[in-house]
Amino acid sequence: MDVFGSFALVLAFVCALYAFGGGIAAIITRHPLLIKSARQSGMATCGLIFVSTLSLVYLFVSDNYSVAYVVSHSNRDLSTFFKVAALWSGQEGSLLFWSFLLAIYVFSVLFVYRNKNGELMPYVGVILAGVQLFFLTISNFVASPFKALGVANAGGAFDFVARADGNGLNPVLQYPEMVIHPPNLYSGYTGFTIPFAFALAALLARYPGEKWIHLTRKWTMIAWCFQSMGILLGAHWAYAVLGWGGYWGWDPVENASLLPWLTGTAFLHSVMMQEKRGMMKVWNVWLVFLTFMLCILGTLLTRSGVVSSVHAFAQSNIGNWFVGFLCIVLGVCLGAYFKNRDYLKSENQLDSLVSRESGFLFNNLLFLVACIAVLSGSLFPVFSEWFTGSRISVGAPFFNKVNIPLGLMILFLTGVGPLLAWRKTSLDSLRRNFQLPSIIALLAGIVAFGFGWREAYALICLILCAFVACTIVQEFYRGAKVVRVRTGADWLTACVDLTLRNTRRYGGYIVHFGMVMIFIGLAGQAFNKEVEKEMPVGSTLKVGNYELLLQSMDQKQEKNYVAERMIVEVMKDHKPVMMLYPERRNFPTNQESGTMVAIYSTLREDLYVVYAGINPATSQPTMHAFINPLVKWVWWGGMVVVMGTIVALLPNRAAVVVLSKAEAPADARELGAMRPAQVALREGHD
Amino acid sequence: MKNRRAKFAGVFLLGTLAMMAPGARLVLADQSDRAHQVGAKLKCMCGGCDQSAAKCYHVGGQYSGPCDVAKQEIKEIEGHIAKGKSDEQILQAMIAQYGPLAYVEPPKSGFGLVAWLMPILLLLAGAALVIVIMKRWRKRAPATATAAPAAAGVNGGIQVTPELLARARELAKRETED
Repeated sequence: MDVFGSFALVLAFVCALYAFGGGIAAIITRHPLLIKSARQSGMATCGLIFVSTLSLVYLFVSDNYSVAYVVSHSNRDLSTFFKVAALWSGQEGSLLFWSFLLAIYVFSVLFVYRNKNGELMPYVGVILAGVQLFFLTISNFVASPFKALGVANAGGAFDFVARADGNGLNPVLQYPEMVIHPPNLYSGYTGFTIPFAFALAALLARYPGEKWIHLTRKWTMIAWCFQSMGILLGAHWAYAVLGWGGYWGWDPVENASLLPWLTGTAFLHSVMMQEKRGMMKVWNVWLVFLTFMLCILGTLLTRSGVVSSVHAFAQSNIGNWFVGFLCIVLGVCLGAYFKNRDYLKSENQLDSLVSRESGFLFNNLLFLVACIAVLSGSLFPVFSEWFTGSRISVGAPFFNKVNIPLGLMILFLTGVGPLLAWRKTSLDSLRRNFQLPSIIALLAGIVAFGFGWREAYALICLILCAFVACTIVQEFYRGAKVVRVRTGADWLTACVDLTLRNTRRYGGYIVHFGMVMIFIGLAGQAFNKEVEKEMPVGSTLKVGNYELLLQSMDQKQEKNYVAERMIVEVMKDHKPVMMLYPERRNFPTNQESGTMVAIYSTLREDLYVVYAGINPATSQPTMHAFINPLVKWVWWGGMVVVMGTIVALLPNRAAVVVLSKAEAPADARELGAMRPAQVALREGHD
Repeated sequence: MKNRRAKFAGVFLLGTLAMMAPGARLVLADQSDRAHQVGAKLKCMCGGCDQSAAKCYHVGGQYSGPCDVAKQEIKEIEGHIAKGKSDEQILQAMIAQYGPLAYVEPPKSGFGLVAWLMPILLLLAGAALVIVIMKRWRKRAPATATAAPAAAGVNGGIQVTPELLARARELAKRETED
């Protein structure tokens, strides 16, 4: 099966080579058969990658310990579920898995548009094949997952050997979320290849207009949604497994996943400028290029070991390959831009400084600055070593100090931007839209201050959250009121009806609402508490309003590990509330151990209890307890964000338009009123 | 109506706020409050955890408590506190002892200053740029704004064909949709 898989991988490389070379020939000659054969070769590449990936999964599931990659990432006692997930637990497999996910996107694009967009698709096919070719080169010739174990015999040739059992999977990865976090994140990373390919294709083909934006909007949102989910699942995994009480540590690899998310978010907003007003065409193209390059850079940072990180699971010297690829991509983008930039003439004009347009400009500015701040912070230790010869630390406090103000400014714009009208916003509408939310936000601030919120940032964050939430509720209320007048439906039905008629706008509001919930959760961090104590059985530990009594300890032999548990009774205000079982798992196969954090989670706060192990100095079990306020809001907010994105992806339900008969002069008046420069839009209404 | 709306929003907010509670910081049981705060700004120098001295957990290790190195650092910080030194003095003393890598933030002097100034300068320069761009774009706007009515004036009896109307509707829809 390993021969089968590696053969399929080589064939995939050959097919990708044809899709690339043949595709270029097809573009030059415009021969329909050549175009078709290049496309089909692209599809075949994807099929072969599927086959190859499945055969590696089969090798894991069937415990084939003659393959080096399987030996180092699996063992017989591992459950089948984790054996499948072991596919992406190391360098070689995760790169193949990357190709696999990319192939799903590529196949879908080639298939869906097989008879459409004839001017654009040959270019798209070539660009996609080019990207695939790079990853296939790595998987075939640099980091092959199908390498067999062997020893050199007397004749100098290799004899295959098979091991009886593997070395096992890294214990911190043996957790259900680890099975869904990487596929999500990778789907985000690879998904951004599609808008990149369309943007570059449109530029190369001198394909005018906004078509590439319309075509890629859905793909971009799908990639963005996966990226968001991937980041949050990673955060949740860190929270629930690593046992340090937090979910975001500004680790270089976490940062790497945030970078394309930031530029991708900026792009999702600035495309509207192009769609609605024909503005910022150059900017949009470069935002997409940048997002894709940041995806590659993220992979480079994760895998090259340039920066030290907890994600060191997949480090090797393949970094140079990624640097080379990045240079090629940048070169192609620059070349295409300078050759064809005349086709990106924008109709940039602004009617007023207070308008949706200016809101988007500042939105983009803030996302870009945040992106550069995170990127430069992650790379700063390396820069410092280059320039001064000594490395310095750039830890979480730095990132927090820099990014919290930026985040708050973005949050503010989240509330203001959507209620500014295109072109021009009148003072009257500003008052109408923001009076009530401002008053409520201030009241919220006062109440929170009364409740003891004295951390400035947390307080500002809460005020802004209240402000944004109010503007969103107000928008739904106004829209639903109109629907109710027309249909007489109840509020809920009216809201659903409203949302389905303009999924993009109201889906967007739902996403914003989810972000508000996430920010509420982030604000809670300012009030974290923690206590650590060595605990003989029978002793108690006090944290916040809780008292934790260590009743006893027990031990359990599981198939793949030995579990040691603390049996803890939780009391709140001297009344027993519940039992918690923080656990440590010792994996004999690779002599490592992992924690299973016990969390009692409510909307108000999480009680987070870690069994830190036996202190070797005193032979006493140690407990580490945290009170983390409002953490649940982050996870729930994430779910709302995903829901909102799905809503925004739905097609609009057609509204029933009743047109009354109008006289010709009335039409003329209507037309006059609609002349672009004179359109006085009533903000916030369709 | 407006009153009811405000009331509704108020109740919603109060409900949200009621779920949040005040909180003062607690600290690790055997660390003093100040030692903890200072320790959070210094790295644990054991080389294996990449965390701060006050929050050293050794993820994946056999024991995820503070390691001996972190404990030693906290002890030294407490020693400095006992001698009556200020936070800044303690940090300087610790950095002098363990090297510049011991500080979790880049120093606010020398090359480290670049890390701090860059985001601020970038934001300011970017904001200035955005404002310049907006002003430039704004200058272009009046030209078209006056051109349109003028054209209409000449073409007073403009023929309103269904296509023209449809196009105008389309434009209005496009610009008002979201």
